Amino acid sequence: MKNESRKKSTALPILFSTARMLMRTPAFWLIIGLAVLFTALYSGSFLSSTNLENILKGFVVTSMLSVGPTFVVLMGSLDVSYIGIWMFGGALVWLLFPYLGMVSIFVYPIFGLAIGLVNGIVHVKTKIPSFILTIAITAVFAYLTTVIRNIYGVLTLAVPEYRFLAGSVIPYLPNTFLLALPVLALSIFFMNFTKLGTYLCAIGSNEEGAELAGINVKKYKVLGFSVSGFLTGLGSIALFSYLGARAPVTLDLNEMVRGLAAIVLGGTPLVGGVGGPHRTLFGALAYTLIFNGLFLTGIDPNQFKLYIGLTLWGAVLIASRRLKGVLIA
Amino acid sequence: MFNSSILEVRNVSKTFNGVVKALDGVSMAVKENEIVSVVGENGAGKSTLMKILVGIYPPDAGELYHKGAKVPFPRNPMEALKRGISIVYQEKGIIPHLKVYQFLFLGLEEKFTRLGRLQLERILGIAKTVLDELGVKCDITSYMYELPLSMQKMVEIVRAILSIRLEHGGAESDGVNPIIILDEPTAPLSREERDELFSHLLEMKKTSSFIFVSHIIPEVMEFSERIYVLRDGKLVAHHDLSREKPTEEELFKEIVGRESHRYLWAKYIYGKPEELKGRPIILSVKNLSKKGYYQDVSFDLHKGECIGLFGPAGSGKSEIARTIYGILAPDSGMIITNGKKVGLKDEPHRRLKMGIGYFSGETGKELFLYWPIRKNISLVNMEKVVKKPIKIAAIINFKAERSLAEKVMKEMRIRAPSVETECYSLSGGNKQKISVGKWLERSPNILVLLDPTIGIDVGSREEIYEALLEMKKGGISMILVSDDPKEYAILCDRIILVKDGKLKKIYTNDEFRKVMQL
Repeated sequence: MKNESRKKSTALPILFSTARMLMRTPAFWLIIGLAVLFTALYSGSFLSSTNLENILKGFVVTSMLSVGPTFVVLMGSLDVSYIGIWMFGGALVWLLFPYLGMVSIFVYPIFGLAIGLVNGIVHVKTKIPSFILTIAITAVFAYLTTVIRNIYGVLTLAVPEYRFLAGSVIPYLPNTFLLALPVLALSIFFMNFTKLGTYLCAIGSNEEGAELAGINVKKYKVLGFSVSGFLTGLGSIALFSYLGARAPVTLDLNEMVRGLAAIVLGGTPLVGGVGGPHRTLFGALAYTLIFNGLFLTGIDPNQFKLYIGLTLWGAVLIASRRLKGVLIA
Repeated sequence: MFNSSILEVRNVSKTFNGVVKALDGVSMAVKENEIVSVVGENGAGKSTLMKILVGIYPPDAGELYHKGAKVPFPRNPMEALKRGISIVYQEKGIIPHLKVYQFLFLGLEEKFTRLGRLQLERILGIAKTVLDELGVKCDITSYMYELPLSMQKMVEIVRAILSIRLEHGGAESDGVNPIIILDEPTAPLSREERDELFSHLLEMKKTSSFIFVSHIIPEVMEFSERIYVLRDGKLVAHHDLSREKPTEEELFKEIVGRESHRYLWAKYIYGKPEELKGRPIILSVKNLSKKGYYQDVSFDLHKGECIGLFGPAGSGKSEIARTIYGILAPDSGMIITNGKKVGLKDEPHRRLKMGIGYFSGETGKELFLYWPIRKNISLVNMEKVVKKPIKIAAIINFKAERSLAEKVMKEMRIRAPSVETECYSLSGGNKQKISVGKWLERSPNILVLLDPTIGIDVGSREEIYEALLEMKKGGISMILVSDDPKEYAILCDRIILVKDGKLKKIYTNDEFRKVMQL
């Protein structure tokens, strides 16, 4: 009893607000629903340790592709350059490895930051819609990756020296997950505990109001894109290890969509203003579960593109529903 | 007396969530061809009553009589329309990119479709006749956004009347007497536009009745036949202006439940020119010009002084104010604050660093409605609530943030459950108090005020005046732009007359009050 009353002062409000946040996150209920459903349908295979590990790995990939861009979505813009950073960053690591050695993996966050910075500055200066801008940049990087492959005449851009990153140091916890942890922690910290996060959220919910409140909107927009790029770059290290020490060399619709879907599914609407990386994590988990369940049903994987589309559609629907609820209240 | 009432409600009560008593046994009547006003503070129950009349809320108790016969309350706006009741909302407003006749018949097209084709000729004909009959002079083929604000409002009213008439058979006026509820229609309008609107309403009164919801006392006194006063969900007074006319003071007291602003005049001292000269100059504007808006504007603002820029709408007064906060860039001139030149193209965040703050009554623009009060207040006071272990990482201290917000809530007497309450759920007055309160904490050297009390009730207004006057007493200088002469008289030490973009004449507070007979 004594312990409880002492804790009450600090722990309880945090616990309370976390609980309230969970209740209001549709993705949270979706996750519970899916987990219950799959446990009931395929109890043996769904709860097996290999499958749980697979879910964890899938979650890492989806969340690494979505937490960074969440910052940009939150301020009312869009950033889909994550695929470009993942692909071409990998190509850079491959190119630089002979010169830099093991350090070259750190090219990823630096490259990500640089691309974020460029995205931000070009978007703010030229006012090109961010979606078009970042998708164009992704297309350019996809092309450049192919060019590098053609010049060097290789099929994949693998760096076998990093293979040790794959495996599991701690049993059942894939290393990719451990690599992802700092990114998740950083993103939640940036969003919820810093001035930066508050300002980005302000820009997303009311840009004119943010300007009138004396926020340097342009500067923070550039910062938002930079944070997005940096976190994606850092997350790409986990993705790099996930694919067995290499980056993808072809542009895949699934990869492109899963980032956005996780954001929206988690409850950050594309108009910005509400939500955040903590929500995106739920979205990422929900997305992973949906596809894990589909694998378990044994449906032809070619149909998956159909379900990707449907999921994105559904995600937007759920998110807008939630928004309406707020407006009516 | 009730014989001639076309609509009457008796003993209407409404409770929200089982606790908030929004309406408590309210009765009112509307007669043919009259303007009835319903006045009261925000949260007094005006809007709830109106929403019950148009079928948005069901009442908990009460009766409705239509032409003397008891009828059930409408369950939705369509049913209300059948009873001849329609509402024009404060800001739901128009669709800018529709032409006037398209807007008038929006949603009514079905009635004018033959063989799948819209009978455009007929629509145009009816639109023209109805507008002519109601005395609204505008080109039916122009776009809504091209019309002045007051004319847009008129078209909205005509639309409401027209839809009731069509519901009852035809576009002609015979037989039906539509009841149009006007929910604070004058809030976004300037003085001139208000007068324009009212002259039209008096014309339309010949065939319709209006329930006029407002908290602007003078216009209510001038244009309505009867006034109902609501306070805390109860009907506290009913005036038949043809028999007795209460003074503005009396009406104010009934609305708010206490004395009016005159105590403020007694409590605060306004600077005299000789005394002001002795104070340091905080802001100096020299030869500021922007083509098409204002020319050659120069004035000095002293420490703790409030200057009012007074003039008709379109005189350039609000543009000057917005230029000082950097929302608008001037073509030429100079702005000097605390001896430092301000970059003419600098954006607001730069101005804020130099000690210039800005506050406008448009809370929709300024507040973050889905944020808790706490965050809305800390947004401009970031430096007070962050810790910086390293320069680039500004970490928010939530405890400091909460206590800051609690302090502001207490000082501004903001009525809300807690600092975590999201702003959209608050009344207009409380929202505005948050907007002012955040600056109270920031305490800039200069505060630019643009319509600081627009659209809020008299009680909150007084409280905001008092907060601003306290800030002024504490040494903050202000520049005020507003529509209400009384506001200038309450807040300003000096009032500058602006006309056609030029500064014409400077009054002291005393002189201004004499000229305005306040």
